[in-house]
Amino acid sequence: MIDASRLSRRAVLRVLGLVAAALAGSGALGRARRLVAWGGPGPDDPEIPNEEVARALGTRFGDRPIRRGHVTLDMPAVAEDGRVVPVIIESDLPMTAGRYVKGVHLFVDHNPGVHLAGFYLTPALGSVSITTRIKMKRTSWVRAIVETTDGELWADYARVLVTLNGCG
Amino acid sequence: MRATIGEARIRVPDRIAKGDLITVNSIISHPMDTGFFRTKEGEPIPAYFINEVVVTYGDREVARFEWTSGISRDPAISFKLKADREAPLTMTWKDNQGGVFSQSVQIAFTA
Repeated sequence: MIDASRLSRRAVLRVLGLVAAALAGSGALGRARRLVAWGGPGPDDPEIPNEEVARALGTRFGDRPIRRGHVTLDMPAVAEDGRVVPVIIESDLPMTAGRYVKGVHLFVDHNPGVHLAGFYLTPALGSVSITTRIKMKRTSWVRAIVETTDGELWADYARVLVTLNGCG
Repeated sequence: MRATIGEARIRVPDRIAKGDLITVNSIISHPMDTGFFRTKEGEPIPAYFINEVVVTYGDREVARFEWTSGISRDPAISFKLKADREAPLTMTWKDNQGGVFSQSVQIAFTA
């Protein structure tokens, strides 16, 4: 028996993806499949940044590509209290003197302030692993983007369903 | 009931060996008011939040955090640290109204 409370968001999305793929194969979701084949967003992808998010990303990162990988953003799929939403950001990128993660940025698409926090790190930390608690106004995609000393940008995304507004 | 604003705690493991990658847990008491709320009497509550945290290990700055009022009340943050020398680990929190709060813990190795 599967304990539903222990299912991670990722696992649920993976199962949904498999179901969607099966349905698409049977023709029921042919249009959705065409969209995915066409490069449209899948269930695990964030929505296209709104104007404010695009501006915030552009100000900080210019037009450098932001690729998915090397970062995990762990958040609850459902946050009952938007005033206190746990966040864990981890990365497998090296933290050596010559090459390291110099910045970790947290963006919440639908918060009054889109860029919620920046964490500036050095190799002395040895590893990227940050745990904190944030406020969320409403259901939104959250973006964790790390910047390396090489100028590379790596990201992970989480969609969090918010029941109680945590921003007023 | 609520702790004094700026009261902070830093927790590191009891036993640390040289070279360990340790987890540093910290918490500070602060309202982190966004400026969007009003009191029951309808008076606006001004924005009052920690916007910068500096972490030093011995004489070196090892991390710096830029925060907004989007961080929850009584901000808690944990991070990893490579314990490669015996030295104090100090965190300094600064808020947007000029408040500066500091807390230290000694990183010492168990034989």
